[in-house]
Amino acid sequence: MKQQNGTMSRAESPGVRDEAAEHEPEHRRWLGAVLAAGMAAALGTAMIGIPREHAALPAVARYALDVSLPRWGLTEPVNEIVYGTRGFDTFGETFLLLAAVISVVLITRSREARRGYFGEAQAGQREQAQCDPPEPAGATERAARSAERREQGGLAPGDARGPATPDATPLGTPAPETADAMTVVVRTAIRIALPVLAVAGLYLVAWGYSPGGGFPGGAVLLGVVLLVYAGFGRRRISTIIRPGLLEAIELGGAGAIIVTELLGLLLRGSFSANWLPIAAPQTILSGGIAQLFSASELIEVSTGLAIAVFALIGMGHDWSPDERSGPDDQGGPR
Amino acid sequence: MIVVNYLAAVALLCIGLYAVLTRRNMIKMVMGLSLMEASTYLFMISLAYRSGSTAPVLLSPPPGQSAGSLVHGNVADPVLQNFCLTAVVIGVAVTAVFLSVVVRIAQHYRTLDAGQVREMRG
Amino acid sequence: MSQAALASLLPLPVAIPLCGAAAAPLLARLSRKLPVIVSVAALAGSAAVLLLEAPSVLRGRVIAHYMGHWTPVHGQVLGIAFAADPFGLLLALAAAVIGAILMLYTLSELGGLGPRELGGYACLFQLLIAAVIGAALTADLFNLFVWFEVAALSSFGLAGFFLERPLALEAAFKILVLTTLASFAVFIGAGLLYAETGALNFAQLHGSLAGHITTPDAIALGLLVAGFGTKAGLVPFHGWLPDVHTAAPGPVNALFSGIMDSLGVLAIARIVFQVYGTAHTPVLGLLMTLGLISALLGAIMALAQDDLKRLLAYDTISQVGIIVVGLAAGNAAGIAGAIYHLVNHALFKSLLFLAAGTIVHRTGLTKLSQMGGLARHMPVVAAAFMLGVASIAGVPPFNGYVSLSLIHQGLQDGHETVPYVLTLVAQVITLAALGRAAWLAFFRRRAEDYKWRDTLRPGMLAGFASLGACCVAFGVAGPVVLRRLMAPAASSLLHPGQYAAGVLSGSAKLAALRIPFDYFSPAELVSVAVSVAVAAILAWGYLRIREPLVIRALRAIHTGSANDYAAYAIAGTLAAIAVLSLG
Repeated sequence: MKQQNGTMSRAESPGVRDEAAEHEPEHRRWLGAVLAAGMAAALGTAMIGIPREHAALPAVARYALDVSLPRWGLTEPVNEIVYGTRGFDTFGETFLLLAAVISVVLITRSREARRGYFGEAQAGQREQAQCDPPEPAGATERAARSAERREQGGLAPGDARGPATPDATPLGTPAPETADAMTVVVRTAIRIALPVLAVAGLYLVAWGYSPGGGFPGGAVLLGVVLLVYAGFGRRRISTIIRPGLLEAIELGGAGAIIVTELLGLLLRGSFSANWLPIAAPQTILSGGIAQLFSASELIEVSTGLAIAVFALIGMGHDWSPDERSGPDDQGGPR
Repeated sequence: MIVVNYLAAVALLCIGLYAVLTRRNMIKMVMGLSLMEASTYLFMISLAYRSGSTAPVLLSPPPGQSAGSLVHGNVADPVLQNFCLTAVVIGVAVTAVFLSVVVRIAQHYRTLDAGQVREMRG
Repeated sequence: MSQAALASLLPLPVAIPLCGAAAAPLLARLSRKLPVIVSVAALAGSAAVLLLEAPSVLRGRVIAHYMGHWTPVHGQVLGIAFAADPFGLLLALAAAVIGAILMLYTLSELGGLGPRELGGYACLFQLLIAAVIGAALTADLFNLFVWFEVAALSSFGLAGFFLERPLALEAAFKILVLTTLASFAVFIGAGLLYAETGALNFAQLHGSLAGHITTPDAIALGLLVAGFGTKAGLVPFHGWLPDVHTAAPGPVNALFSGIMDSLGVLAIARIVFQVYGTAHTPVLGLLMTLGLISALLGAIMALAQDDLKRLLAYDTISQVGIIVVGLAAGNAAGIAGAIYHLVNHALFKSLLFLAAGTIVHRTGLTKLSQMGGLARHMPVVAAAFMLGVASIAGVPPFNGYVSLSLIHQGLQDGHETVPYVLTLVAQVITLAALGRAAWLAFFRRRAEDYKWRDTLRPGMLAGFASLGACCVAFGVAGPVVLRRLMAPAASSLLHPGQYAAGVLSGSAKLAALRIPFDYFSPAELVSVAVSVAVAAILAWGYLRIREPLVIRALRAIHTGSANDYAAYAIAGTLAAIAVLSLG
């Protein structure tokens, strides 16, 4: 059911509360189409005008290729640009990721003891009463909440306890699956794949003279953690991942990066200058501080993203009232 | 014919933009922004391409060429790959923050409809 | 110290707050307030390094340093340059000093927060200020984009800080959508420029764009203006600004309004004046239009608001509009006035937001209709608020008078009568809005008395006193500030060739700019007196009438839906691209 203006009744809204999610009305379709078409025309005009595949390589790119072997001893010019010549950009980017991780941690935090009177809490209560919708929870919302409670380990009286793995579920049980972990096939495959992946992630960083670097390496290591979470369930992974320790490691990685760049200023007179001796090309130590930077980046990215993912997964209900769903639902233990 | 790539990137961007402008479900708006991000990656990588070029990697060059000849030869642009890496990291970071905010809004407002999450008007 | 050694210290003002930010969450585990104390020290250290550079730069000089010694080769620049020109150094110094003052205020007012919250807050706060300093000092387009993104991500976390307020989360969603669209615009614009010119450094870009600007270059300029305009809070990219300010903590409001929007204005000024030049495209006309619309819309919407912080946020939009109008005047007086007003805005807006933040924090009241008679209960806060109002009004001897007079002078020098009249109208309406707010919050008698009594805390007093003192100092010492600080900054923007030469070679002298300014100009004094009188009448009248149709229509346009605000931003981007590429 498509409406042209912005208003519609609450019963038709898409989202958590009700069932009719297929008939989602669109918001000012014609305006969106006109603006999207206008943007296509504007950017298309630009795209037709810019140089294409027969243009010469810019001089700065040629210079980057030129200095890669003689000045850095790296056979990978992209790594040389990212961690070496334009390392200051990557320095800024490290802190971009740090800002994102700290933002996620702040937004997903649980309540802490505060000292003194905070007028904002009173204002918040007023606003919550205003914005909270008056209807009770629908079937979709109740199902979502009980699934979340099951995952986080706190069960209300009405919830069914699922089996630990789907192997115990009889064949033909209807969806959805309520087990924590996955089947024995998946778990065995993960056990075999994990060491390979972990080594692959470290390889991407250690062999800095081939394509790779800290960012993809960090993402692969994060993938290892996510595989364990998906295959073995939340309880297994929470015993290994401790957010406090991860945060300390991440900030240590960020600190190491600052020190690496600062030492350039102290030892060579310029921030982000190379102060390590240039090793022979195609060896692990080739690239000077580019390798050091890349390794610190691996630590920071993998731990930072892991913190962000597990903060999201472990988010509680501390800040919003939950009286509608059940008498004793105050958010599960984390 | 790399201009086809450029125009495909623009088309992808505008599809994502249409999703952001017309979809009310907040998760779909985030998906629209992810689509726009992906189009910028396509744009940057297409800008780096040169006709008949090889990758700008000096390790094990293609047969008949050496590292030295590659430096002066026909390779793609490595500086734009730096841009693209930065954009990928930014995309991951922003999507993580987006999703945590959307979950919190769903807890407070109990809806994912951006048209109903508008207590502040005027 | 030699000039080259001095220039090599330029990354330190960025690195020191980043160290403080990286340490903050760990320090929070030791002691609750330790991260905030360390952050005050870090920002003070950053300001100290900038002050070390200040004497040689502010005498009219550009000094540049290439990271890692990757200097230009035959005019082609691969490395990242940090260039301190008077304009950037001034804004970086303002960011560091005001940031330190805001952290001092946080120590006493928000010191009761939980340790993990306070650690995260200190971390994001320092990251944002480090990003603004980095953007002010950089001379590389992609580096500017990276610092813009760091500031954006820090602002997301700070916008949604008070999780108990659902409005904060709603605002966080809207700032996320609009800032992400802006970052795509900047990214694609930077990519287009690199494809066209093969350059990332401002000086190299200036050389490539000096002769001829192609259509893709003009489209890139439109995208860059739209993207940075979102950060600055220009209409129609402003949808996030009022909402974010409604529910954020007081010092965060001051940070966003005073320091983060200066990042947007700074980026627009650099790109328009120092990279592209103003001769080949109608960009000054575009900026004048956007500035005037922002000034008027912000002022009118401010008049109609019931929420105190939202009112101040709309006033920010209006002031940024006036700053951009000053820049768009294009002459020495206008640009110097605009830079002066940017610094003044950071000072008096911080004062106003800290006062509003104290009220919300101490009483829990956010709406003007619920407040009243606060002057008796919170005299210090009332005094600070009235000082801020007097500064915005442009009453001598406060700082607003000097900067607004300079902007008026710039508009008159450029024979722009319609913008001059519209700016005066916007100022009168702004003053009426703030006067109404002051009356409703502080001086109106309230039916029932409050049950609490105010306590003065040292951090709060220090914050108000230092900001108030700066407002007075920048006003009383106006001509000196103009001659020593603002004229060199304006000279840097008006002589892009000298800036580019300085960036490429490492050091260059900027031509000295003499801006005649009559402090006691009779025309200015008369117009100030008349505008105060008209504003008082307007405020008195508005308290008694029903909401007029114009205001109801404008409020209906601000629907509060993220889709709609995104649509306005995209429409604005398309308009900017159309004007620049077809003009």
